[in-house]
Amino acid sequence: MPAGDYAATRYSPLDQIDVANAPRLHPVWSFSTGVLGGHEGQPLVVGDTMYVVTPWPNVLYAFDLGRPGYPLKWKYRPNVSRAAIGAACCDVVNRGAVYADGKIIYNLLDGHTVAVDAATGHPVWETKIASVADGETVTMAPLVIGDRVIVGASGGEFGIYGWIKGLDLATGRVVWTGHNLGPDAGMLIKAGEFHPPYVSGTELGVRSWANGTWKHGGGPVWGWISYDPKRDLLYYGTGNAGPYDAEQRGGDNRWTSSVLARRPEDGTLVWAYQFTPHDSWDYDATGAMVLADLTIGGKPVPALVHFDKNGFAYTLDRSTGRVLVAKPFTHETWAKSIDLATGRPVENPAMQTGDTKGNVKGICPSLEGGVSPASPPAYSPQTHLFYTSTNNFCMDYKVHQIAYIKGTPYMGVSSPYTPGPGGNLGAFIAWDAATGRVVWKDKEPYPSWSGALVTAGDVAFYGTLDGWFKAVDARTGKLLYRFKVGSGVVGAPIAFRGPDGRQYVAIYAGIGGDWALLAGDTSSDDPTDLRAPNPLVKNLASRTSQGGMVWIFGL
Amino acid sequence: MRPQRTLSWRSSAARWAVPALLGLVVAGSRGATPTHAPVIAAPGVANPAHIAAGGRPPPGPVVQNPYRGEPAIAHAGATLFVSMHCSDCHADAAAGAVGPNLGDGRWRYGASDAAVFRSIYYGRPRGMPAFGGLLGAQGVWVLVTYLRSLPPPPDLPTERFTQH
Ligand code: HEC
Repeated sequence: MPAGDYAATRYSPLDQIDVANAPRLHPVWSFSTGVLGGHEGQPLVVGDTMYVVTPWPNVLYAFDLGRPGYPLKWKYRPNVSRAAIGAACCDVVNRGAVYADGKIIYNLLDGHTVAVDAATGHPVWETKIASVADGETVTMAPLVIGDRVIVGASGGEFGIYGWIKGLDLATGRVVWTGHNLGPDAGMLIKAGEFHPPYVSGTELGVRSWANGTWKHGGGPVWGWISYDPKRDLLYYGTGNAGPYDAEQRGGDNRWTSSVLARRPEDGTLVWAYQFTPHDSWDYDATGAMVLADLTIGGKPVPALVHFDKNGFAYTLDRSTGRVLVAKPFTHETWAKSIDLATGRPVENPAMQTGDTKGNVKGICPSLEGGVSPASPPAYSPQTHLFYTSTNNFCMDYKVHQIAYIKGTPYMGVSSPYTPGPGGNLGAFIAWDAATGRVVWKDKEPYPSWSGALVTAGDVAFYGTLDGWFKAVDARTGKLLYRFKVGSGVVGAPIAFRGPDGRQYVAIYAGIGGDWALLAGDTSSDDPTDLRAPNPLVKNLASRTSQGGMVWIFGL
Repeated sequence: MRPQRTLSWRSSAARWAVPALLGLVVAGSRGATPTHAPVIAAPGVANPAHIAAGGRPPPGPVVQNPYRGEPAIAHAGATLFVSMHCSDCHADAAAGAVGPNLGDGRWRYGASDAAVFRSIYYGRPRGMPAFGGLLGAQGVWVLVTYLRSLPPPPDLPTERFTQH
């Protein structure tokens, strides 16, 4: 599974690598993927094979971990349309594959889901799930629950009518499609079965959008899915509302920037909670929903923990969607607090945006998020702490009215970034989700864009935008080991036990994702496209450039 | 009045608003409807950077920019660049984002007005949408004129870093 388990904890029970011996880590293997786009997501190890999906053109590599030098067993090269490149808002990334029933299943940027025989590399089925002509591309990591493959599409910047689908694992057939906005029927809301914690009524996904604007309202699904077998609920976050001019779409704009809970079998919507009503800052909620059983105020709680782009970390009751704890995990200025009685943010009126508001300055976090949803957190049941990358920069935000033009962005924003307070643009932190506080913080000079991993050896792992792979003490944050992996890290580390019985940690290097746009001077492969350095990260290109690599570290 | 305000977001049909906007941009900037007849490009426009087998470039129709060098048209094109969502892919001032920098004086598909016209009119394979159907030749020439008016930066092939 992309996140190691259904609960999306990114926790590994392996403990051979521990705080005492982690300083002796060293690289044991590396491989160039031959692809330059941002390497988000993570490798997938099944038995003695490691599978790696690249950014567009979405090559799937199968490495034989049982043989010296880990040679390839096969590689699968789908014919992915080049036209999808321009429709991908933020680089041509892919967030990983899932294994089930002898198949490796993953998404292609141009709107297809493919299943490939895990042993032979032969395609088993391929299903068109999304329409590039309508601005849909697919970057998320699918999850298999029972005989359903759960997939969604990006396109919050292209005015899509966001959705999630359940495919049949055996054939790839689309069994259900549930929209994230719009009419109840399209959202798979069934009479008496939808219980959002703070609101009631029907057709909320229509009535919360002025003048039918839900039709191009966005609400994409480009992050991660988690699943609670006991409650039989799958959880995922939806992205921003479109266009960026919030005054063009009066109302709360449900259910964009929200978490939704559905039945995997038929997609029935069971509850939904909106983190950022009437999103006016591009605060997607597509970051991971991590399921953990916590003790809050002495009581055991089936929790769902989510670090939002809006800078707040939320601890919800995953049975009901009610908010138990919501506190900022990074510097933020758009809201004073989250009102636990209503579930709504107490917003700062000075930070409201819209075409009549002019250039609104000093909004924190920026639209890149207090953490990028591309950087999933980890949770250790040993330390009871969450680990996550964070960003510390702000934005000015100026929007204009915009018309919908199919196949082009539905944005209309100008949003330069400025550093947040403290002299660091990012940090890797440990977070106590029961109380909502930072336990320790490792400052990073650049925004921190990597996913997190934590192990039973009490070691947390992440990578940095300037290309360091790092191992830190999960209880204190003390740096135990680091190695320069050649390109900035925007992927997520994994731990696995090799066929030799030893523990390894694998991670991608390969700067990209939003940084392909924001730090275009880290690219060198096109002589006809010179980019000026971004003043926010002026010297980043002196420390890293593009390049896709898979690294394995061991003792 | 900022021309994008003429786009009524309440109207669901951008296809009506767009030609209206185009007329407004061009007319407003020149005080009158353009007198130049738009020139339609056809396939076969040569990119001089392409290698011609036998040293013989294939002949193509002569395609000329009717607005070449006209500052008022370039100014209108800057507005169109925003209202047609070009800036959402190529960034403000065409500095490059999803699509390449269009103001660096370097061109993937050739530097001639005709090559730039073709890129916008017919689109390009890596996700540059074809705007010819929406804007017509006239609108595309307005954009070409804008892009060609961007002050060519001193070509800076060397990026130097000052560490702190
Ligand atoms: C959906 C994103 C998107 C939009 C909207 C968009 N472009 Fe592009 N554009 C691209 C991409 C991607 C490329 C590179 C295509 C390729 O190399 O195949 C490109 C290429 C170009 C080129 C060729 C550049 C060269 O170096 O030769 C020009 C000119 C251009 N675009 C102009 C425009 C104009 C003018 C508009 C608005 C009418 C526009 N673009 C709208 C994404 C976009």
